[in-house]
Parts: sequence; structure tokens; C-alpha cells
Amino acid sequence: MHCRHLKRMILAAGFLAILAAGHVSAQNVHVAHTTLKTGDMAPDFTLLDNHWNPVRLSDYRGKKNVVLAFYVLAFTEG
Amino acid sequence: MAKLEASDAIVLGISIDSPAANNAFAQKIGVTFPLLSDMNRKVLKQYGILKLENIQKEEYGWAQRTTFVVDKQGVIRQVEEEASAINPNNAVAVCTKLPKK
Repeated sequence: MHCRHLKRMILAAGFLAILAAGHVSAQNVHVAHTTLKTGDMAPDFTLLDNHWNPVRLSDYRGKKNVVLAFYVLAFTEG
Repeated sequence: MAKLEASDAIVLGISIDSPAANNAFAQKIGVTFPLLSDMNRKVLKQYGILKLENIQKEEYGWAQRTTFVVDKQGVIRQVEEEASAINPNNAVAVCTKLPKK
């Protein structure tokens, strides 16, 4: 009887620990959601491409539609 | 890609990788469109998609996976975040419907 009670307490403590761990790891990541929405002007920028040449978004104005695909990291599934 | 080109659209990939890493990545996966390097997280902040993570008490930031379709006037026509941004079909569909001029 006493032993069963103890087991239950250990189980409960384990559950609490798992919950706490989940909470902490969730706080470690800050996910940013864009405030830009359909109809907004796309902020202009200039960045270096993979041949070290500057590419400016507004250079495509009046010429091409642009799909901006932000990816997490090269060489990963991200 | 062919559908995008037919709808007068180009793709710009953007990440925090260096131009050198992006070039190696482009060769590995065989993409022909530019991969842009936002090493300073400048554009990620501008677009509000810098994702911060604490690893071993240090803060690191990289892109939240997001796709924006920008028309020829520079106006955003579609925003897709996270899992739905992996599938390009919606972006292609939006581009196909955009006016040619």
C-alpha cells in the first residue's frame, strides 16, 4: 500500500518534470511572424547573391514578379 | 519553375548563409535562380521573420520559413508561413493569375 503510493508520487513528479521541460524549451524559441500582409509594399533591400553580386529587389520593378523564398539554412531539409 | 517563368516571375531564395555556402548549395541542388545572403539578418528583421533561439545560453537567429509573392509594382500579393511555404504550388498559382504588365 505504502509502496504503491510512493510509485504514484514518482510518476506524478516525472510528469511534472516533462511538462516543465516542455515549457522551458518552448520559451527558448522566439518565432517571429511577419506583420507584412497582402497589399503592402514589399520593403526594398540589396543583398549579395551566390556569386557575390548585389541584387536589389526594386530592380525587378516593372519587369518581373518575384517570389521571395526565405529558407532556414542551406544543406538542411529546412 | 517552368510555370513560374511562363508567368513572368523569378524566384529569389534568401537565407543567413554566406554567398560561398549558398553557391555550393545551389550547385548541389541544381537551382539556377539566385540565392541571396542575409548574413546581417537585415532583411529578416525588415520582413519580421527573424526566428531567435537560445542554444547553450547564446542567442542565434535565422529565417522563419516564409514565402512572399511580390508583383511588378512591388506589392505583396501573397504571404505563406512555415509548413505551407514548403509547397510552391500556391505561389505558382498566384503568379499565374497576376497581370502580365
